[in-house]
Amino acid sequence: MTAIVQEKEKQTLQQWLKKHGSSVASMGGLLFCVIFFTITTGLKGESIWSASKLSTLIGDVIVTALMAVGAVFIYSLGNMDVSIGKQIGLYSTLLVLIGNSTGSLPLAILACLAIAVVIGIINGSAGELLHMYSVISSVVFMMVLSGISTIIYSNLGTRNISMNPGIDLTLFRQPWFMVLVLAIEYAVIGYFFYFTKFGKYARAIGANQTATSQSGVNIILYRVIPYIFLAVCLVTASLFQMGYTGAASDSTGTGFEMNVMVSLILGGMPLKGGMKSRLSCAIIGSLTFSLLAVGLPIIGVPTNMTFLIKAAIFLIVVLITCRQKGGALPR
Amino acid sequence: MEKEIIFEAKHMRKEFGPTIALKDVDFTLRRGEIRGLVGENGSGKSTIMSIASGMQPATKGEMFYKGKPWNPGSMVEAQDAGISMILQEANTIPGVTVAQNIFSGHEAEFSKFGVISMPKMKKEAQKVLESFGIGHIKAGDLIDKYTFEDRKLVELVRCVTDQTEILVVDETTTALSLEGREILYKLIHKMADQGKAIVFVSHDMDEILEQCTDLTVLRDGDIIGHLTRQEMDAPDAVKTIRYMMVGREIGDKYYREDYDTSHGSEVALELQDVSLGRIQHFNLKLHKGEIIGMGGLSGCGMHDIGRIAYGLEKLSGGKVLRNGKEIKTPLQAINSGIGYISKNRDTEALILNGPIQDNIVLPSIPALEHKTFISPRAEKKLSDVEIGNYRIKCHGGKQYVNTLSGGNKQKVSFGKWTAKGSEVIIMDCPTRGVDIGVKQAMYTLIENMKKEGRAILMISEELSELIGMADRLIIMKDFEVTHQVERNPDLKQTDLIEYMI
Repeated sequence: MTAIVQEKEKQTLQQWLKKHGSSVASMGGLLFCVIFFTITTGLKGESIWSASKLSTLIGDVIVTALMAVGAVFIYSLGNMDVSIGKQIGLYSTLLVLIGNSTGSLPLAILACLAIAVVIGIINGSAGELLHMYSVISSVVFMMVLSGISTIIYSNLGTRNISMNPGIDLTLFRQPWFMVLVLAIEYAVIGYFFYFTKFGKYARAIGANQTATSQSGVNIILYRVIPYIFLAVCLVTASLFQMGYTGAASDSTGTGFEMNVMVSLILGGMPLKGGMKSRLSCAIIGSLTFSLLAVGLPIIGVPTNMTFLIKAAIFLIVVLITCRQKGGALPR
Repeated sequence: MEKEIIFEAKHMRKEFGPTIALKDVDFTLRRGEIRGLVGENGSGKSTIMSIASGMQPATKGEMFYKGKPWNPGSMVEAQDAGISMILQEANTIPGVTVAQNIFSGHEAEFSKFGVISMPKMKKEAQKVLESFGIGHIKAGDLIDKYTFEDRKLVELVRCVTDQTEILVVDETTTALSLEGREILYKLIHKMADQGKAIVFVSHDMDEILEQCTDLTVLRDGDIIGHLTRQEMDAPDAVKTIRYMMVGREIGDKYYREDYDTSHGSEVALELQDVSLGRIQHFNLKLHKGEIIGMGGLSGCGMHDIGRIAYGLEKLSGGKVLRNGKEIKTPLQAINSGIGYISKNRDTEALILNGPIQDNIVLPSIPALEHKTFISPRAEKKLSDVEIGNYRIKCHGGKQYVNTLSGGNKQKVSFGKWTAKGSEVIIMDCPTRGVDIGVKQAMYTLIENMKKEGRAILMISEELSELIGMADRLIIMKDFEVTHQVERNPDLKQTDLIEYMI
């Protein structure tokens, strides 16, 4: 009798692990980083949990996490967006320029939102309408936005611009406000992702577009909507990116799309999207990623080496994920 | 004298998490046998041979092949040793030629200094295709050019070599055209005569009784019994086998017993002068409470009619009308109360890599929505009803569809549309791969749908179910309607076949 009970318990555990294996692994990765940096920074006579380091950590994680939460929608479609970094750069620049010229930050935010939504609509629909991988349209946007940024800064005759001191940005530097906004964004996106047709259809499209289409889902519409959610998240992230320093430059946002991708992968997001996509991947991954960014320099790893370490981790995780049966890179 | 044992499994057990596919099975296969394996969906019949052919390992038990312990690490290893399995699902490699598919894994035979001679491979592949009597398939063509039925034949050619000692045919015939089936039957009898063994997994009782020399019946992971050829020839054999499979009397009622072809006067779906490719000026009026059956050979155009009626094809002429409105997309079709069960279950009807519940509720999501909110409880309730109605063998709606047996997958795709409550249902091969117990339940359900006033367009390659269920039967050949007949007690398959071929 005891043997039967043990056997059943073993099966239940196996089943649970099969279902939650990737969550356990990604959570395990985060816990490992927490324990590792708590011990190693302590050995160096510092603490990663000191008020100043915690503030740096939150400042580092906020932009990536805000972007990644929105990007979960895109990745669940089986897509990726490589124009994220350049979009952050453009919105940060426009926030400063419009804010300075009108003296109104809300007006600057609205202008950025309008542009972000237009980019999102084009990015989301182009793949389906032109029968190409969606990533291609985001590559085009990356190039176009890069060109626009170059034109703006060469016309201005400078490589960086600052917000007028008249516009108060201190709120965007407060850790409690960062956490609050992230929590609100997570709750709102979480609602749409798990409890509305927008999230359900996005995951279904990622899992099998033909079957979803034959079930009456308008593929173009429900491919575009996730990009609109991302657009809102990117403008929010740009506010904190620009607000933290009160400035923008021609290099703002460079490589952010990769930060998002690495964070999502570290968080256990399935690269091919579909039904196993989870929003928690964005938070777990961003935290792990920022812990590496903040923790590695404290323990004496040179800054240039931290990029190499992050790249190595990214490569290992991609290799493991894509070697799984049916694994595929987002398109 | 008993023939030599070629394969033996002792105390074989297979578990998939909490689901036990095989309990403690002893199975013996002898040379010269064409062994039928029958059982309901999820009874474990495909599992036995998938373990023997290296597709998956057993949880417990031993296997012996040609008298020696057998434990293959992969299907390639098993195939090289002489055990080949043709699977139920599509298993060809897309984007490459027929020849490359046939010789996949054996490229070295055609290469010199690391360079593969494609002309040599193509020539050899064509020779093999001709020897199987399917010369219409050209070795140099891309595999994607061919229909599902032809691709299945290419798989057959790839699996069977001179070294094959055991051939496992796993519910393959439902995916083959009539000609394809004849080719397969000829091949398996030839192999049996050569002292090889064949395991034939099928739901088609007529086929099993015609082709097999022995029969093993499974139920819920156990072997229930064996029948010899003599026992299979007994007058009440079908009844006995059905009882063994289901474990209860399923009664004589299978198809509709009435011959009442009356239906509502209102047209529920109309195809008006429709043209698409080789289909020209096709007309059809489906009324409320009517079942129209469409039959023919696989490539006759009947499957296209189903797709056209559901708005999946862009027409070159004519229109599809529902309640006076034109249907041009699946979304318009669903919104106007049309449901469609695709023939291509795994690629078009289901999200395999998704839970049963998400599949069942997918078309019903707008109906479950309350000011953007979709209640998880409402989703579960809707899905659980269908899981119960169809007796889907699973441990809950959260189980992934790709872990289900073929028939249970089909039940999920059927459940999608009954959950939605569609008024017009287009069924393309609705009972493909489904066991008799569930088939009977589905036929009862279809009959009830008619009584409720729903309109049904039933497209099928099984003439018997069309004769058994339809009010009006349309037979197609070469993209044209060749015959139409009303439901009547004297109608026989032989009366219709001449219009199909």
